[in-house]
Amino acid sequence: MTIDRARFDQGITYEAFKAQMTRNRDRVEENEGRAQLRQEDVAAFRTLPRQLNVVVLAEDWCGDVIANLPVLGRLARESGKLNLRVFLRDQNDDIMQLYLNQGKYKSIPVFVFFDESFRELGHWIERPASVTELRARRRREIFAAHPEFGSPDGPVDQLPEDVRTRLQAELQQMREETTPFANAEVVREIRELVTRVAA
Amino acid sequence: MTGAHPKVKITYCAECGYEPQTLALASALMLEFGSRLSAIELIPWDSGTFDVSVDGQLVHSMRREGGFPDGEEIKKAVRAHLTA
Repeated sequence: MTIDRARFDQGITYEAFKAQMTRNRDRVEENEGRAQLRQEDVAAFRTLPRQLNVVVLAEDWCGDVIANLPVLGRLARESGKLNLRVFLRDQNDDIMQLYLNQGKYKSIPVFVFFDESFRELGHWIERPASVTELRARRRREIFAAHPEFGSPDGPVDQLPEDVRTRLQAELQQMREETTPFANAEVVREIRELVTRVAA
Repeated sequence: MTGAHPKVKITYCAECGYEPQTLALASALMLEFGSRLSAIELIPWDSGTFDVSVDGQLVHSMRREGGFPDGEEIKKAVRAHLTA
């Protein structure tokens, strides 16, 4: 199975994806508005020699989609060089099977970049490894600083409700604090991918 | 363990949209055990979590077992606590 123009056109636009969301649309739009793009990054996409077609696999319940698809959406809007078509993962398993994470996992989002002839230029899955590593480290630090939170791998339902609420607040704050780094890493990785092969 | 009236906690990833599975399991336990349960607590969490504990004993973890629990397995775990 390959993706050609006809299959690509079966996807929905990013705006249509947002319009059909049954949850988390406010978070997607908030993340899209808050994403800080450097002018040099936007310029790198804007000066691509031709528009790229981008297949996106997504679902509205996935945290990594909510976090990372808006960054791609902003890049598309501000550069005018990324033509996005979104496919719902659970309705498009033929595409999903082509881009399994580590050959096994249906991780999303998936961004697949094609030239105008639908030659694949590269793909990107889920989130940058650097973000996973940073957040894992910050999570360990939170647990180390708060013995009352117990083990990082322990079931949270064993915690007293007030402690659980404080843990949730700490984790939420950590995610907020690391979001600018995460967004920058998404842009950096996508920029490296498309400028390496599409120049 | 509390024995006669166990408490069930279901920790689910709210971000992931696991509410239907959470409510289905809670409903199945309510219908099966009625007032023989002291409580069913639903805990919204994140990170792809779907954990079920009975009287503090973890009987299913999505991270550990993979996937959602078999309702019959959870009922079996609850019955074990009823008779403990």
